[in-house]
Amino acid sequence: MVMFDVPPVLLIAFPLFFAFLAPLIYYLSKKSIKFYTLGVLILNAILSYFLFFRVMDEGVVYEQLSGFYPPVGILLAVGYLGSILAMLINTLATINYVSFFDEKSHSLRFSMLYMLVTASSTGIVVTGDLFNMFVFFEITAVGSYGLLASKGTKRSYEGAIKYIVLGSIGSSFILLGIATIYGYLKTLNFYDIAARISTMPIEAKLMAFTFLVIGIGVEAEIFPLNGWVPDAYQGASSRVASFMVLGPSKAGIYAIARLIFTLIPFSDGYELALILGALTLLIGELAALNQKDVKRMLAYSSIGQMGLILIALSLHSQIALIAAVFLIVNHALAKSLLFLGSRNYASGILKNPVIGASIFIGALSIIGMPPFPGFWGKWYLIVDMAHNGLWFMISVILFAAIVEAVYYARFLFRGTGNEKVTLLPGEKIAIISLAVLLVIIALFPFLLYNPASNAATSFLGGGP
Amino acid sequence: MRKIIAASIAILVFVVLAYFFITSSAPIDYRHGGYYENPINHEQYNQSVPQKYLNGTRQDTGASNAVTAIVVEYRGFDTFGEVTVLFTAATGIALLLEAYRRKMERVVESNFIVRIASIVILPFIVVVGTYIFIHGHLTPGGGFPGGAVIASGFLLMLLVKTRKGLNEKNLTITESFAGMTYALIGLLGLVLAQEFLQNYLPLGIFGTVFSAGIIPLIYIAIGFKVGSELSGILDHLKGVHSE
Amino acid sequence: MTYELLVPIFIVSTALISIGLYGVMSKKNILKIILSLDLMDTGVNILIVAMGYLPGGTAPIENGNYKVYVDPVPQALVLTAIVIGVSVTALALAIAINYYRKTGTIELEKEGVMKW
Repeated sequence: MVMFDVPPVLLIAFPLFFAFLAPLIYYLSKKSIKFYTLGVLILNAILSYFLFFRVMDEGVVYEQLSGFYPPVGILLAVGYLGSILAMLINTLATINYVSFFDEKSHSLRFSMLYMLVTASSTGIVVTGDLFNMFVFFEITAVGSYGLLASKGTKRSYEGAIKYIVLGSIGSSFILLGIATIYGYLKTLNFYDIAARISTMPIEAKLMAFTFLVIGIGVEAEIFPLNGWVPDAYQGASSRVASFMVLGPSKAGIYAIARLIFTLIPFSDGYELALILGALTLLIGELAALNQKDVKRMLAYSSIGQMGLILIALSLHSQIALIAAVFLIVNHALAKSLLFLGSRNYASGILKNPVIGASIFIGALSIIGMPPFPGFWGKWYLIVDMAHNGLWFMISVILFAAIVEAVYYARFLFRGTGNEKVTLLPGEKIAIISLAVLLVIIALFPFLLYNPASNAATSFLGGGP
Repeated sequence: MRKIIAASIAILVFVVLAYFFITSSAPIDYRHGGYYENPINHEQYNQSVPQKYLNGTRQDTGASNAVTAIVVEYRGFDTFGEVTVLFTAATGIALLLEAYRRKMERVVESNFIVRIASIVILPFIVVVGTYIFIHGHLTPGGGFPGGAVIASGFLLMLLVKTRKGLNEKNLTITESFAGMTYALIGLLGLVLAQEFLQNYLPLGIFGTVFSAGIIPLIYIAIGFKVGSELSGILDHLKGVHSE
Repeated sequence: MTYELLVPIFIVSTALISIGLYGVMSKKNILKIILSLDLMDTGVNILIVAMGYLPGGTAPIENGNYKVYVDPVPQALVLTAIVIGVSVTALALAIAINYYRKTGTIELEKEGVMKW
């Protein structure tokens, strides 16, 4: 295989350049804009594979920008987890874009926002600079506001406004955190901050940690900052909700991981994250049990999954981190599959057994049935907890799993979609591809296990 | 009830934040005891990062305004992202408001004096805006304020010509070309020098307009981009068809 | 060791943040909510600029007469933060316009946005 040392910055600069170019293409030929966008997304996915293999080869890839040494200039640092997530986000965004292919009124602006949000979600996972991460957070957030409101119903506007309010409060708090850290350390580079964070007084460290958790928690859907999630996902079209699950929320959880492991590591932070994760998990799952609307149910379930991932991250051990990677990948694949299929599940399984089987696979993987990746994630997590004697947390997770099984069983056997809508061909292709990916990981878990293990080692050593 | 809860949360936040920032022992003076360390090869330098910026601006970038040097050169990638945030917002607004554009039925004609005065003022506003973004590396200014000044000129036009909007297609094309120029300047840095957004032009004579390498070029691109984006946003918020 | 001069600035900026927070949590009118968010942004921006203060320092533009400059980094960060604030405000206004056209009102229903 011919290797090409792809500079990480291309993953961001190319899609942005092509998004700037898109209007000119549109004015030349209105029909070609979807194919153009698809081409850009495929190019970016290919670049992310090259980056992934490069990281697997050489370890963490650094790239300094503007010709100045960090921390004077901005540093991009792509670690194992970063490259896995970059690959995941770009691949799934490409697959998900196929589901928009039948849209009659397919607009230029929508495609541009789609490219921009994909690029900026990638930017969050490859950057090595605190303020740069904030800028990418804002691009992601602003793009998501537009995408979520684009359905044009009253509900979608309400959801978007709710997200804007919480997102803006969150960004103010991230800025406060940045101001606190900069005030003490006069630097913004992740490595430089991590090296000198111990010189900060404990109360300042605590405040900075709180500010940043509040700010990033909005994007990562952590309790109590996730009030926007159900409304925004319910209001948006199912395909946009699917995109939100696979892109921005994954980038948010990566930022949280980066924060509690490398940026401000202190032991109380892990316990706080554990408690927050458990609360997020329980509240999300219990709220999902009562929902009538499928998308709202999936949104609450999504919150629960984020809590689970946060629990896994907060245990800071090798196996728990591998579990976290499995859970992240599982959630991105299976939940976006379920969101895509949520438009009309009930008649889907009868009319088309392939689609029905795909949705069934997605639900099984989310609940944690073997041999799907969701099972491996929960299994590693419970093994690690048993090892540490955290029996109470194990019971919490098992309880949540039972609750999950109950409402997914209701979703699968009774069906909740009552609209007389059939899935479009593009959506079918996307659903089947996602199910195939889930099956591939289920059959060959070591494909994910080895990179995940590397990522865990790197994170425990304080790397990206 | 709701207001009481909101007020108590707000007061709590105020007390905590004010107490923390007032009593915090942050070393506000960046000149003492600072050093910076290259996190990759662990080389240490005996000055803090802001000192490095202030001392190195002239040799490294050729600009006299250190803030500009940071915004466009040292931390140029942030600004690339910042331009994209505005671009994303403009795109989102166009996506949301396109469906609602229509012909104005009932309009109030603007006053004769306002119409004539605006035609007289408009060129001056555009010239001032252009001056601000061309001299970004020498004076407190730059692409963002310059672009905003130009957009204020277009706002004047929108207020005066109540019946019409701006030509959306032209604005979008300007915006596209300016954005691509910025991205290409950055990518050329990857080809001609080694890194994205690295300077590859001669620094010129310090203190003149044609100096500081790629900074004026980037600020001109940003000026055009911000000007056309903000005008487009205003045009969309007005909600009138261009014909 | 905070400089005396900075104390009122910190009080004003944190007060702006709290007022904005109160407005966001208690108002139903979308425009008032957007204004409150703007207040919060302004407060944070003032606070960050204050972080770069140095007694006797001038604007960091080299002109030969001064030797002491204030810290330029917070100013650069705030420049970015302001543009981001403008973008969010503009997008929020666009959504508010659409909401008004759809529902005929600018007020959110029932408990507003902070209901979990």
